[in-house]
Amino acid sequence: MSWHQAIRARLGSITGDPSLDLDVVDELAGHLADSYAAARASGMDHDRAEELALDELKDPATLEHALRIARSRRSTAAPSPGVAVDDLAGVLRRAVRLLAASPGFTLAALLMLAAGIGGATAIFSVVDAVLLRPLPYPHADRLVAVWETDRHSSTVREPASLPDFLDLERDARAFDALGAIVAGEFTLAPPGGEPRRLAGLSITQQLLPMLGVTPVTGRLFDAAEHRRSQADTALISERLWRTAFEADPAVIGRVIHIDDRPRTVVGVLPDHADVGMLQWLSSADYSRGFADRDARTRVDLWLPLPLDVQALPRSTHPLLVLGRLRDGVAPDAAERELSGIMVALERAYPENEARGARLEPFTDVVLGPARPGLTALLLAVGLLLVAACVNVAHLLLVRGLARRREMAVRVALGGSLSRLGLQFLIENGVLVAAGGLLGVGAAFAGVRGLIALAPADVPRLADVGVDARALGIALTLMLAVAVVFGLLPLLQVRRLDVQRALAGDGARSAGADASRTRLRSGLVVTEVALAVVLAVGAGLMVRSLVRLQQVDPGFDAAHVLKAEFQLPESRYPRSFRTWPRWTEIHQFTGGLLARLEALPGVTGAAIAAQHPLDAGFTNSFAVVGRETEAKDWPEIATRIVSPGYFGTVGLGLVRGRALGPGDHADAPLVLLINEAAARQFFEGRDPLGARITIWGMPRTIVGVVANERFRGLDQAPPPAVYLPIAQNPLAGGVVLVRGPDPAALTGSVRAVIREQDPQLAVFGLQPLTLTLRESLGRPRFVMRVLVAFAVLALLLAAAGLYAVLSCEVRQRTREIGIRLALGAPPARIVREITSRAARLTMLGLAAGIAASAALTGLLRSLLYEVAPTDLPTFAGVALLLLAAAIAAAAVPARQASRTDPAISLRTE
Amino acid sequence: MKKGSAELLVLAVIEERARHGYEIGRLIAERSGGALTFHVASLYPLLYRLEARGLIEGRWVEKSGQRRRRYYRLTADGRRVLARQRTVWQQFLRALDRVAGILPA
Repeated sequence: MSWHQAIRARLGSITGDPSLDLDVVDELAGHLADSYAAARASGMDHDRAEELALDELKDPATLEHALRIARSRRSTAAPSPGVAVDDLAGVLRRAVRLLAASPGFTLAALLMLAAGIGGATAIFSVVDAVLLRPLPYPHADRLVAVWETDRHSSTVREPASLPDFLDLERDARAFDALGAIVAGEFTLAPPGGEPRRLAGLSITQQLLPMLGVTPVTGRLFDAAEHRRSQADTALISERLWRTAFEADPAVIGRVIHIDDRPRTVVGVLPDHADVGMLQWLSSADYSRGFADRDARTRVDLWLPLPLDVQALPRSTHPLLVLGRLRDGVAPDAAERELSGIMVALERAYPENEARGARLEPFTDVVLGPARPGLTALLLAVGLLLVAACVNVAHLLLVRGLARRREMAVRVALGGSLSRLGLQFLIENGVLVAAGGLLGVGAAFAGVRGLIALAPADVPRLADVGVDARALGIALTLMLAVAVVFGLLPLLQVRRLDVQRALAGDGARSAGADASRTRLRSGLVVTEVALAVVLAVGAGLMVRSLVRLQQVDPGFDAAHVLKAEFQLPESRYPRSFRTWPRWTEIHQFTGGLLARLEALPGVTGAAIAAQHPLDAGFTNSFAVVGRETEAKDWPEIATRIVSPGYFGTVGLGLVRGRALGPGDHADAPLVLLINEAAARQFFEGRDPLGARITIWGMPRTIVGVVANERFRGLDQAPPPAVYLPIAQNPLAGGVVLVRGPDPAALTGSVRAVIREQDPQLAVFGLQPLTLTLRESLGRPRFVMRVLVAFAVLALLLAAAGLYAVLSCEVRQRTREIGIRLALGAPPARIVREITSRAARLTMLGLAAGIAASAALTGLLRSLLYEVAPTDLPTFAGVALLLLAAAIAAAAVPARQASRTDPAISLRTE
Repeated sequence: MKKGSAELLVLAVIEERARHGYEIGRLIAERSGGALTFHVASLYPLLYRLEARGLIEGRWVEKSGQRRRRYYRLTADGRRVLARQRTVWQQFLRALDRVAGILPA
């Protein structure tokens, strides 16, 4: 052994600080070498001389003292009582050195801090921007959605008819203002450019002033524009202004072509004029949401809604109505007033039979759908933050324990507790600062990741940025943990038996030890419990998603490509006098289908009003001869399809016949119903041959087809009728093409539609599997984030368990060594350690399962056919945790069983 | 031993020239005839303390073929302190002698 080693061994065992000043060791080693050489020169043998030299080191405590002074040696100022300012830099440097010297501890702590701070900040930032911040409109708390209700079909969120809206607007006193919207999709054809499909709103004049929207440039609509039935003005979004018009201020006054009609741009609206349209539309009972997750989920166009009750009679219900309550008017009172008006309308108009009114806070409409998922994530990240805190606390405790002897020596030598405390504080401060820095990075990355992962129907995602308050709170929390648990070992120093700490193994002052072990066991139990809760939540979401993906949607998405189109009225006239013989439209449909079917790689093609994942429209209907009974029936989904639809999407015929070329405009009117409709409306009767009145005309049921889940995989298939396109022409809809490799058909399908009509906008071109995936966006989003959190929590728990066990094994080295020497079988030692791990885990499991059972109810609305107390999930998580615990215990257990009795005694 | 005596001893043995730690310890032992010895643990803290107070100055010296050694020399401050200490000790020892008769006649 070299002198250096001898010195390092002794100093190392006192300070626990490997970053000794090399100079000091060198100097001391030189001294020992001289001492040895002198002894040898005087005739001593090697052993005796070495012993004499090493004897110099017999008092390591004093040596430690020497080191301490050596550290301050470089400061030129005389040592002053208390803490000098220039000393602080030294302490800081020392803190960094100490942290760098134990990379394992530092890395673990940094990761936990970063995960806790970054995760919590990211999720809170999203939740705050999406859910908590008020909507960006004046008096947003007084904004209410006004729905119509239908007692017959028990619908409570139906859009209003235009005449109803005008009557409410005239008679209701409870509102400052009422506005209405008809949502639609429009084709913008820039001169010489590719036509693009935009989401647009036809609005009444009051709407934008009520929302306090002011144009970025230009003006809003004036009252006169709404009175004219052929208004020719438009407002565009700031986004469209920038992307399509290079933010040219001269866009005001320019004429653009929308659905082939010239309109003058009068203003540009800021992004928040969007109103949360997507959420509003999808919360309505009967309305069509924007179909795709592309640019059309944001509103780009506003047109004046012509107040033409001929075009929009009382029987059609396209209007989404928004109102702002007068200050001091309670929503209940306003609803009572509206209901009174609706009663009067019901008496006056047969179309209003069974209709009422209902108010809903607008905030709930826009934010409601995102609430359960984000609330669950907020809770989860809270648990993760606690888990990270617990782990950091735990790490600091373990470290404090390792440094007890160092502290004891310092205190014994008169080192002041306050100075020691300051050093610990600075060390932990450096740690939290570094972890916090990483956490800030993680928060930014997390927010970006969450926005990318989030489904399109989460509102206000564009407003999400890292929230400084959340970051501050998370940082403060971590700092508090670091201070409290960093100083805890210091308090114990007072109780520490200095003699023992110096004499040998400082870890054997029984009383303090037991309480410390209890504290740390408690922390481990907490870590396990938190991991259980997060893992159960994640497990439930995974199981639910697996269930959802196993659901048979009723159609075969795997081999289908879809594209959407809209025929402009200018070139495809649709007069109600000639309906259903709309020649141009039939020519387009027939020609396009023929071209599609002729494409290589295409085994089927169809045109339909909606693709199989679009809920589409519903209509009231009656079975001929059972009209009275039908009064209480809900509306039925109406699907208009070309005969090839069933083969293309793989929807099976159950009874009767499918649609065919014989079902043309001049043939008897026919339709198919689905099994859900057959069960609900023809229980115990034969639907075939029965006649259904829909859109005012009776049609004969010629077949029954299987169910399609077109309202979403998690929704039961609704009753539906399928009507032939030839008898019900479509001015727009979807093209569906079947082939072995649908994605490969994208180019040729687009080309074929262009061939049929070069000016047509083709949009929403994608494989149906992608559409299917997107329809599961929300549960998948929550599932992914929860799984990430659960994995992290699991790792934290395993790390905590490992730390406690391996520390215990170290403390018990002598005992285990003696027992092994006395013949105890190693397997028994392994068993002991493992069962200790199992005991701690069981406690954590019990607490975690109880907490999960209480908390997973929050996930209920996100779960599909999985109970919040799903036994397999709970059992699986329990097994997983036990397995992780045993894995975490394996290493310390093996170490213990291999303890060499001789070494174990010597290390004392 | 009177407070400060160890300090005086160290300052005194490096008065004529710079010496390294072992040499300082050995010289003190030799000159005191073995009556005064320093262990590593008491010598080096003292050296560092003196250095921190600016009374001595340590410097690494490397000679070819030997390991490097740290040599300590007196600073100007150290010289003044040594002179003052000498005076104090002389007065102290004389006082002791007058009372207890400790110096050789």
